[in-house]
Amino acid sequence: MTTITRVSTAKKRPNITAHVFLVALIIYFLLPLWWLFVASTKDPQGLFTGTGGALWFDKNFNLLANIQELITYKGGIYFRWLGNSALYSLLGGVGATILAVLAGYGFAKFPFKGRDFSFAILLGSVMVPLTALVIPTFMLMSQLHLTNTIWAVILPSLLSPFGVYLMRVYAADAVPDELLDAARVDGSGELRTFLTVALPLMRPAVVTVLLLSVVGTWNNYFLPLAVLSDQNLYPVTVGLGGWQALAASNNGGGTSLYTLIVVGSLISIIPLVIAFLSLQKYWQGGLSLGALK
Amino acid sequence: MVTFIASSAVRLLSHPTESATASSRFFFRREPFTVKTKSLLAVVSAGALLATLAGCSPDVSAGGSTDSAGGDAGSCSNTIVNKDAPQVSVWAWYPNINTVVDMFNKSHDDVQVCWSNAGQGADEYAKFSTAIAAGTGAPDVVMLEAEVVPGFILQDALVDLSEHGADDVKANFSAGAWKDVSSGDSVYAIPVDGGPMAMIYRADIFTKYGITVPTTWDEYAAAAQQLKDAGGPFMGDFGSNVPAWFTALMTQNGQKAWDYESADPQKIGIDLNDDGSKKVADYWQDLVKKGLVDTKDQFNTDYIGGLANGSYATYVSAAWAPGYLTGAGASTEGDGAEWKAAPLPQWDPANPVSVNWGGSTFAVTTQAKDKDLAATVAKELYASDEELQDGVDTQTIFPLNQKMLASDAFADTPVKFFNGQTANKDVYIPAENAYEGYTYSPFTTYYYSELTKSMVSIIDGSKSGSESLDDLQKTMTDYAKAQGFTVK
Amino acid sequence: MTNPAAVLRAPSRRRNLRRPWIGWLFIAPFGVIFLVFLVAPLVYAFYLSLFSKGLATGTIFSGAGNYVKAFTDPEFLSGIWFVIRFAVILIPIQMAVSLAAALVLDALTTRLSRFARLAIFVPYAIPAVVGTLMWGFLYSPTFGPLTDLFKVVNQSAPEILSSGNIFGGLLNIVVWQWAGYYMIIIYAALRGIDPSIYEAARIDGAGPRQIAFRIKVPMISSAMALILVFALIGTLQFFTEPQVLRPISNGSITSSFTPNIYAFDLAFRFSQFNYASTISFSLGIVVFIAVYIFLFASRKRRGGLS
Repeated sequence: MTTITRVSTAKKRPNITAHVFLVALIIYFLLPLWWLFVASTKDPQGLFTGTGGALWFDKNFNLLANIQELITYKGGIYFRWLGNSALYSLLGGVGATILAVLAGYGFAKFPFKGRDFSFAILLGSVMVPLTALVIPTFMLMSQLHLTNTIWAVILPSLLSPFGVYLMRVYAADAVPDELLDAARVDGSGELRTFLTVALPLMRPAVVTVLLLSVVGTWNNYFLPLAVLSDQNLYPVTVGLGGWQALAASNNGGGTSLYTLIVVGSLISIIPLVIAFLSLQKYWQGGLSLGALK
Repeated sequence: MVTFIASSAVRLLSHPTESATASSRFFFRREPFTVKTKSLLAVVSAGALLATLAGCSPDVSAGGSTDSAGGDAGSCSNTIVNKDAPQVSVWAWYPNINTVVDMFNKSHDDVQVCWSNAGQGADEYAKFSTAIAAGTGAPDVVMLEAEVVPGFILQDALVDLSEHGADDVKANFSAGAWKDVSSGDSVYAIPVDGGPMAMIYRADIFTKYGITVPTTWDEYAAAAQQLKDAGGPFMGDFGSNVPAWFTALMTQNGQKAWDYESADPQKIGIDLNDDGSKKVADYWQDLVKKGLVDTKDQFNTDYIGGLANGSYATYVSAAWAPGYLTGAGASTEGDGAEWKAAPLPQWDPANPVSVNWGGSTFAVTTQAKDKDLAATVAKELYASDEELQDGVDTQTIFPLNQKMLASDAFADTPVKFFNGQTANKDVYIPAENAYEGYTYSPFTTYYYSELTKSMVSIIDGSKSGSESLDDLQKTMTDYAKAQGFTVK
Repeated sequence: MTNPAAVLRAPSRRRNLRRPWIGWLFIAPFGVIFLVFLVAPLVYAFYLSLFSKGLATGTIFSGAGNYVKAFTDPEFLSGIWFVIRFAVILIPIQMAVSLAAALVLDALTTRLSRFARLAIFVPYAIPAVVGTLMWGFLYSPTFGPLTDLFKVVNQSAPEILSSGNIFGGLLNIVVWQWAGYYMIIIYAALRGIDPSIYEAARIDGAGPRQIAFRIKVPMISSAMALILVFALIGTLQFFTEPQVLRPISNGSITSSFTPNIYAFDLAFRFSQFNYASTISFSLGIVVFIAVYIFLFASRKRRGGLS
């Protein structure tokens, strides 16, 4: 709707400075990724003493061999990590979104006693640094016999206070009370009202929260590092971090891990980058939805 | 308007780098928000919750874990061969540990190892000390470097193995290796892998610049000067991230840093700034100042790159160096690099001193359910001929077990990295056998962190070597006092 | 809004008040997670911070003693000082980059600008651990691209991770990782402005630059201020990037480099859980004060402007 006028304003000035600026930004933001790709094609020696410099290919193109080694190294544990990451971020992301939608709707549409107080607590409680939470969380998990299980990663990932905040703000505006009341008058139960009337209206915000929580869980490093000790359960961030530590220690033993780390990093970022590129309509929509208000 | 703002916060919150806050609430000021009373209430309600949780007894899942001797160390990363045998959980990070565990399990009917990798070094220690503080979550047997053993003893995390048959295997180890894990009559871990120190060097670079292999530190410095004058590469490296290395070199010149016994854990003697140590510190500062050695941190890619491309003529290192460098890609093939091993240069060639970079061990934790069984695993894992051989073949460990150390096969192995030099016989085995052991403090990680700061000041020249050790002595003494030790 | 609503609202409100537990039911699942994984650990951590334990001594109750110690602890204070300096320098740069990018992208609709929007945003999808590792490689003075660059002028490459340069090295990584994200948020806010306002301005003779700085920027200022708050909190809690760079930093990242690293090391390396909890809470207090000051100042300023 607004784009038509925009195009006409932009057309007037095919700004060269602006385009140069954009090209510079593109180079800056993509340079490390280019490096990562180039480095993935090198063998261990090429990585450190390659002929083409850091930003160009070595004389040996070793990408397939590196991937091959990644597939076979320790029985393909890398791909297990990748699978774990997918599992955790999907379960964690979906779970966090469900909880956030329910709670946000509850906060927005039910003026119960203590609502404002608990909402303030919700928002005010996250100023304490993460490091403070790790030890007690670990102890709690131990008591519940959850350490070193997938639940130790997934359950805390369900916590998304700002997902709730987002949902509350969105539901308050996007779901008219009149519609809910009409449904109630028609004899619809609260849960059914929520599912059939409110939820469809909240869909754009749901997608945004889902995507953001999936990314958050996928990128999480500190929590799984602390609560997992079985490497079959590691997500890919912790696995790669572990390889880095192993490579940098005195017990490297036999295999060069650096090429595995580099090619593993490359593969690990592909799913999310693809997800963002292919879903850009949704997340950009979700972000600007708020702005349109 | 607020919607997208909140969505940004979701990302911030779920991200380890940045977590967010209730700022939007303050910012918009729609409702009054007084933190004091509200958080007080939160504290009260959560306190009630905590009490409930604390009351929850730890054997909720006892039904499911009858076959496990261990606590909550979790599922195994290996297959259990003899499913009827009791299991002992083990944390370890040796690169070939999965092979070794399989070997162990196949050869044992009475006990099975349930292994997992809880991280490398500091990561594992972090988990282990958290589990100790939590009172649950530790494995039965844990791999520890010798330097951290006294600290964990002080946390009451380790079992005295002398009560569980440690003496059975004492004869398998050199006196020095055994001393590293003992305190008085008590033994808190079984040694596995060691790091006797030596100097490896690039024979091709030495030949090119006409340098003879230095046997004393004076010769080492002279050779370094000679290299520089001829426009050659660095002689070596003084990196701030290898405090264990620097400690070993100071120990070589007579430093007796700690006077400490786990049997009398409130008292400690500290002596870090004796003349011998100061001489070593000033010596390296001099080499750094003259530009004869590099100051890169070791083990990182930059340093490995330098080793691979001939930036360094020597690497003062431990017995695992050839395996490490092979793995890191510093090969001898193709680029004309010719590595050789030589004994560590000495201060007094008449009285050579052998030192150790550090080694790794297996210890039994106080959370082990069956301590005898766990001790059996600590003693026998990585101890059979087959298991040791795999460690040697994969260049994973330098075995401390005399079964391997004293065997001809090990001694006579030509090491590929050294172009067939029998480095074990020539250099590493004598170094290990002459090693006399070391007394570690119960706060090694803190000491290493402070020593790293001293090494940084030695490198950047902000303090002289002697001054930085004087300051270190003071820092460590103050720290020990603050932690409640009586400083002797 | 409409008449039927007014009719309907009264009974429904009564109904809700009669059954207040329905609201709680919707919130309950989240509430349980919130209590178990946030409130309970927090309370426990606070409880820990009230006790002190030396390595060689038993645990004793020390009340506020640990807090007194923390705010006179030079290591903690130097970490605080570092993150404050870092925030003061980082945030303007970060905001300038993302605002400039967003303004340009808002004004252009070419294929290049669409590509640029994605390219700038991509680092957000990359885990901080991986991103930092990549930059660590790129900073290498022996095999990074700088080596080749400086070879041309016959110089050796600078040590970006040395203690003199680490500040800039970290600055760059954080800007790279987050600028795109902030850019997208600002961009979304800009798209939300009614374009008829620009039309009116143009009729009044305003050029694109004037439109950008006189109209667009003021209209998104509250969004900007809020992003600033998030950036401020994030920076004060700086952890992952220096922690990942630490092994290759040649000693310039110490165990008290930032308050969060200090707390982490105290707990997990030096086994001082009580004091570590205190440091974490003290950092929380500092963050709270900083955010409060910032909001107070910006509110006053904005109040004066409008």
